[in-house]
Amino acid sequence: MAKKWAGRVRNWMAKKMDLPEDVMMDLPRITMIGQIHVYIENHRGLLVFTDRELRLLLKQGQLLIKGKSFVIKTILPEEILLEGKIDQVIYINDNPGGEK
Amino acid sequence: MKNQWIEFFYGRVTVKVSGKGTERFLNVLTRNGLLIWNVKRHGTETITFKMRLMDAKNIRHYARKSDCTISFLRRSGVPFLLKRAIKNSGFLGGAGIFLLILMFLSNVIWGIEIKGAKPATEYQIRKELDKMGVQIGKLQFFVDNVEGIQRKLTNNIGELTWVGVELKGTTFHLQVVEKNEPQKPKQLSPRNLIAKKKAIIVNMYIENGQKVVDINDHVEPGQLLVSGAIGQEGTPELVAAKGEVWGETWYKSHVELPLVTNFKVFSGKEKEKHFILLGNYELPVWGFGKPEFSNYETEENVHKIHFLKWELPISYLNKTLREREEVQRTYSNKDAQQIAIELAKKQIKGRIDEDAIIKDEKILHKAIKNGKVILDIHFKVIENIAVGQPISKETSE
Repeated sequence: MAKKWAGRVRNWMAKKMDLPEDVMMDLPRITMIGQIHVYIENHRGLLVFTDRELRLLLKQGQLLIKGKSFVIKTILPEEILLEGKIDQVIYINDNPGGEK
Repeated sequence: MKNQWIEFFYGRVTVKVSGKGTERFLNVLTRNGLLIWNVKRHGTETITFKMRLMDAKNIRHYARKSDCTISFLRRSGVPFLLKRAIKNSGFLGGAGIFLLILMFLSNVIWGIEIKGAKPATEYQIRKELDKMGVQIGKLQFFVDNVEGIQRKLTNNIGELTWVGVELKGTTFHLQVVEKNEPQKPKQLSPRNLIAKKKAIIVNMYIENGQKVVDINDHVEPGQLLVSGAIGQEGTPELVAAKGEVWGETWYKSHVELPLVTNFKVFSGKEKEKHFILLGNYELPVWGFGKPEFSNYETEENVHKIHFLKWELPISYLNKTLREREEVQRTYSNKDAQQIAIELAKKQIKGRIDEDAIIKDEKILHKAIKNGKVILDIHFKVIENIAVGQPISKETSE
């Protein structure tokens, strides 16, 4: 319950004080350049990587990117640059307890 | 993003990871600060990626904890290039040695060509060149420069009027002009001998012809000495008169000699300086500082280094600084007179034939004026006064 309250306060502050949400609420920032590049900041680790699929762990839920001929151009602890032909970017929320 | 060039300098490796949980392994690596890029999947259980060489050394440590097997595929970057260069250093060394040998051989004298000389003179020139060290197979570097060779050759070989020395590539070309001794024209045509100077005849030696004058006769220039017409009177036979008529002739000489003369001479003190010439810049190598003498002359000697037919812009320069001293020479009156006479004799000798003899000298007038000795000397010279004069047919008949 306390966690939820903290989340709410953060959300409120971000809105009222005009702060970027990704900083305040540990949300991922996803930058896409057309279909060819995706740059994801603030992820929590790699779950699955194939040349058709990339699954990243987020603070809440997971991020699933589907496409073709994926190559990870750079991977850092909290950032990842993916190259390939991106078809879909999907948030998976159904398992809120997936967080460790 | 990473800097590609820095990775290139540090070296990078392509790593192949296979097994389950490759993603987990990647997470472990990134969290530990290892840089990873170009991750690709090959099949279900294999991925490849690139990483820095220095990180690759630690990767086994993490791999042991995961159940993946790793292997290194490709290495690239400067450290590996260097390794390969060292391994193939033979090639590089060979190329270097080749260039060095080529350069060495370009600086060797490979030929000496002498043109325009008689065989005898050519032999003499070759001997002289050998003495100077100009030989086939010697390094040009240790040989005098062209001007020096030219000077020495003309000085040391009497038969040469002029020798042009030219260095073309590795061959010395010598263009020789010999002194041509004027050949005496063959005087087969009938002639008389006449006097060329006023003289008193001292001695006569006649091979052919009828002598007209006798010893102790006074002759005027143009006077007939030996007639080419011999035989009986009325039917003379014309021959080429031949012989020597020695007569006493007189010369006057006027000499002036200053009593005090200033000379510039080298004291023998010298300082050598060595330079490497880079283009026009003189890079001192040895012999620094100014010489301890202030009055000096500089002699420069440049040794060029050749490469094939080209001259390299690098050459060796040798400067010799020689101290110059001013010396004052003072003669006493007596000495001055003696030397003046010698000088006059030399002058006279230049004017008379080589086989003429100075018999006597007499000082006609002597004065010392303005620090100079002024002498008028009278010389008695014994010389051959006979000159051929062809007899034309008209006068003989």
